[in-house]
Amino acid sequence: MSDSAVSEQAVLEKVVGKPRSLASDAWHDLRRSKIFWIASVLILVILLMAAWPSLFTSADPRACVLSRQHRGASGSAIFGYDFQGCDVYAKTVYGARYSIVVGVFATLISGVIGAAVGLSAGFFGGWIDAILSRFIDIVLGVPLLLGAIVLAKRLSANPESNGVFAVTFTLGVLGWTTAARVMRSSVLTAKNQDYVAAARMLGASNSRLLFRHILPNSMASFTVVLTILLGINIASEATLSFLGIGLKGDAISWGIAISEATGYVRVAAGPLIWPSLFLAATVLAFIMLGDAVRDAFDPKLR
Amino acid sequence: MRGNGPWKMAAGVAAIALLAGGCSGGSSDDDETLPNTISIGIVEPDSLVPSNTTEANGSSVLASIFYPLIRFDDNSNPYTVAAESITHDKANKVWTIKLRSGFTFSNGEPVTADNYINAWNYGAYGPNAQLASYFFSRIDGYAQMQSIDPDGSGPDKASEPKAKKLTGLAKLNDLTFRVTLSAGFSGWESVMGNDSFYPLPKAAFKSDGVLADGFGDAPIGNGPFKMKGKWEHDSKIVVEKVADFKGTIPKVDGITWKIYQDLGAQYADLIAGNLDVETKIPIESLASASGDLGARLQKSKSSAFSFVGFPLYDKDYQNRDVRRAISMAINREEMTDQIFLGSETPATSFVSPVVAGYRANTCGDNCVYNPTEAKDLYTKANGPKDLKISYNADGGHKAWVDAMCNQIKASLGVNCTGSPEPKLADLLKKVREHKSVGMIRLAWAMDYPLMENYLAPLYTTDGSSNYYGYTNTAFDSLVAEGSAAATTQAAQKKWQDAEDILATDMPVLPLRFGQNVYGFSEKVTNVSMDLFQKVDIYKIEVAS
Amino acid sequence: MLRYIVRRLLQMVLTFFGATFIVYALMFAVQDDPIQALVGERPITASQRTALTERFHLNDNFFAQYWYYMKGLLTGDFGTSMTNRKVADMLADAWPVTLRLSLLAIVIAAAVAILAGVVSGIRRGSIFDNATLVITLIVLAMPIVVLAPLAQLIFGIKLGWFPVTAGKDASLWQLLLPAIVLASLVVATELRVTRASVAENLRADYVRTARAKGLTRARVIGVHVLRNSLIPVITLIGVDLGALMSGAIVTEKVFNIPGVGFNLFRGIRTEDGPLVVGFVSVLVIVFLVVNLLVDLLYAALDPRIRYE
Repeated sequence: MSDSAVSEQAVLEKVVGKPRSLASDAWHDLRRSKIFWIASVLILVILLMAAWPSLFTSADPRACVLSRQHRGASGSAIFGYDFQGCDVYAKTVYGARYSIVVGVFATLISGVIGAAVGLSAGFFGGWIDAILSRFIDIVLGVPLLLGAIVLAKRLSANPESNGVFAVTFTLGVLGWTTAARVMRSSVLTAKNQDYVAAARMLGASNSRLLFRHILPNSMASFTVVLTILLGINIASEATLSFLGIGLKGDAISWGIAISEATGYVRVAAGPLIWPSLFLAATVLAFIMLGDAVRDAFDPKLR
Repeated sequence: MRGNGPWKMAAGVAAIALLAGGCSGGSSDDDETLPNTISIGIVEPDSLVPSNTTEANGSSVLASIFYPLIRFDDNSNPYTVAAESITHDKANKVWTIKLRSGFTFSNGEPVTADNYINAWNYGAYGPNAQLASYFFSRIDGYAQMQSIDPDGSGPDKASEPKAKKLTGLAKLNDLTFRVTLSAGFSGWESVMGNDSFYPLPKAAFKSDGVLADGFGDAPIGNGPFKMKGKWEHDSKIVVEKVADFKGTIPKVDGITWKIYQDLGAQYADLIAGNLDVETKIPIESLASASGDLGARLQKSKSSAFSFVGFPLYDKDYQNRDVRRAISMAINREEMTDQIFLGSETPATSFVSPVVAGYRANTCGDNCVYNPTEAKDLYTKANGPKDLKISYNADGGHKAWVDAMCNQIKASLGVNCTGSPEPKLADLLKKVREHKSVGMIRLAWAMDYPLMENYLAPLYTTDGSSNYYGYTNTAFDSLVAEGSAAATTQAAQKKWQDAEDILATDMPVLPLRFGQNVYGFSEKVTNVSMDLFQKVDIYKIEVAS
Repeated sequence: MLRYIVRRLLQMVLTFFGATFIVYALMFAVQDDPIQALVGERPITASQRTALTERFHLNDNFFAQYWYYMKGLLTGDFGTSMTNRKVADMLADAWPVTLRLSLLAIVIAAAVAILAGVVSGIRRGSIFDNATLVITLIVLAMPIVVLAPLAQLIFGIKLGWFPVTAGKDASLWQLLLPAIVLASLVVATELRVTRASVAENLRADYVRTARAKGLTRARVIGVHVLRNSLIPVITLIGVDLGALMSGAIVTEKVFNIPGVGFNLFRGIRTEDGPLVVGFVSVLVIVFLVVNLLVDLLYAALDPRIRYE
């Protein structure tokens, strides 16, 4: 009991004593968070890898020789070679680019649509909720595969395109429903909280209510869903590519590398494990960053 | 918080849901394993109506229910089975088929000439849209049974065909009938080995020329086995022995054809002992298969032929030397060894070794791996800097296409990429529209064991599978002369001359000949497979 | 409340038609050459093409085709698949096994996610919390195409703990391993969301009030925190249930279960319009009912949420 009393006191002092914006408060907290720094460094490394893969390896990921099939690790190829005799390390490094681009941008698209739909449905309720929610139901009912085939066929009609835009857009536009449903449920809970009622009585406008009070309090579950969606999107790209509606030509990605290696896991596990590890590390970094940022922005924590 | 209402409610919902799920099924243990029965894995067949079956799965099941007119010996020569004799006139145009007496369908109906005539008429009639109807196209009167749509794929109804029966079929007596072809063909006896030439009982028809509802789910045949119950779609087809069958009697009492969506799942069941025969071990499992199965992993000849077609409508590929150079740039041996782990063999001829008239290495130097000469030739011919191989993503072709591209890159120093399309239909559509698809991955499995079947459909100007648009009048006439030749030897000579033209022109690049790579459980022995990817159900037996 | 439910049921009818229309339109857009797709690698003659085109009304325009289909659907006829099987029969074959599989999976996923999520939410930063994070991440990073065959190889073939494949008339025991594999697909998100909302609710005022009133820790967490944390989790479970039904393509393939995912995949691949639209129609109804239940559960869990 005494602990919480003290912390309440501290919060009160903080709020009354030094009025600061939520953002600067958050930044203040973030700087002292170990998790935040670990996550940031990891993400920075991955982004560097995506932007300039040649910084990390001098080997050509597309120089594959069958005679090197499944050869083990050596000085020149520290992760060994895969089924086609390609350098697994070089392929993993070069695979970062499309995986990150597809994963991050598709998640962003889903996040924006999901937040907009979920917020409006939960906050306004009534017929807006009815229409938006039923729309979500319809989109949920459309099989991802069907939507993806239609979209990808139309978007990548140009034989020269590498399919990155088509895949990103497809995954983004079809993957927002979970995020929207979760956002809506959080808003439904948040808008009935006492402080919202208080703010409303004080004459706060709808937009102020939404963005100042409800949105920050509804972010917890939403952020979690999005960070995990990132991992799912990176893996889904592989599925689409394998069905012939994903990345085209000689594009390299973690998802493709993982799927290719799966069939031979009993013969050589390395080509499967390494890209999987990189994928896991990326998702971990984003989950940690999401956790840290959410904690920092959570008004209840101060 | 008042009471715990919501919890009760949540628990109630969950309970109802589970009950709903639990009640509706679970009556398992249906596979009462009778002592002398076996199980063979297949993929869901397209159809079990003989004239509508063109793939190996349906064909395997039909082979147990029906008894064919002829079968093939080890040298692919036909011998009579349900037929007592098959004779022909000098021009190979009029064929007389005499049936063995005493045979019945599994429902007791005697097998007569009418059963064959009715079945073939049904298969040939255009509006029935039977997938194997082209097998009847050599019989006189076939063309009059096809409808012609006045406006192509437009909204107008297609016209009714002029005839409902093949004029070339005539009944002589209950056990004899005559087939008249529109042009003489010395290999006709072999063609009749196909599934579409099985007879159908009277019970198969609702009225004249109309199939009875549900016949496709429980076909009645003249073979050593009969259906036990109906075809359980996506699950299994069970057949049991026919009592006092007059023909060759199989050694097992029943077969369960277990249906799998995926060869991987089938393989898992095989090594777990839930399945007796898998007719096609998936490539991914090959590396571990010899360890898992030992001597129960076997290989035999099959008719499959894999090749890559050059889009001859594309300027880039019109120079013959470009095509020759690409062919010399690839190492077929390395591909079959490393990618296919020896389950396929390198192809250096255009005709499969399983047919009479095959000669080794007809492709000559063009199919010998020679990177230096390939590069020379390619540079001189000024070949394109970017090569592409299009394939359908649903057939497991990615690995070898990527490997082939890597070989081309290494040998020719040009860029090469594999370009997947979701399915073959998408790829063929682009080819028909003459889009730039690059080289096209294709394959062929024979309909009947004759050289002609590897030549006419694939390379004659109006060949049904000549997607790449190859045309050579000398070739066309040699194939036609071969078909019209009086004896099979004379025919083979003409067809071999035709094959030599292909070796000069190189319209396609031969890659691999397939093999049956199959495995079986400890429960069965004497497992062998034929050229058509079917298990020999007469030889297989339960190990004692 | 009753009025709300009635209104939702009315909305369902409209949504149902909207969904079938959209899926029908999508299938129409996908259909390039369903006849070639039907026969696979075989060449087709012009005459076969003509006959099949007429049989499936493929040369009619979109609205005429949709009209044909809806006329049948409204009289309870789901039409005939391009493989010549009645779609109603195919639905009856596929749904029972899928229903059992997905419910089993969702129960496993929810049980694991809520239990582990609550513990990690309470003990944030503990060994248990970090261990579950790492395990869920590994599962997440392994695509289902890896996970399903691997589980089959290890637990089915090598260790022999579970049946290797399930089949159409599978018992719950045969479905257990595929259900666990499926559950692992959704457990990560559900677990993380439970953890996040438990952690958040632990800091809420009412918890402090309840503790101040002298309630035991177990009761505070078990009743107050959990109840308030369940809303986002239940939302997810609702969405996941449908996703597991239609999206179990790989798992169904590996364990040879001819369910809804398999049929949808087959239908999409062969451009089989009636097959896909039939399955999606039923799927949409499932979504609508489940999401109605979820919305009703919100109100039950949080009395402040009201529908009128």
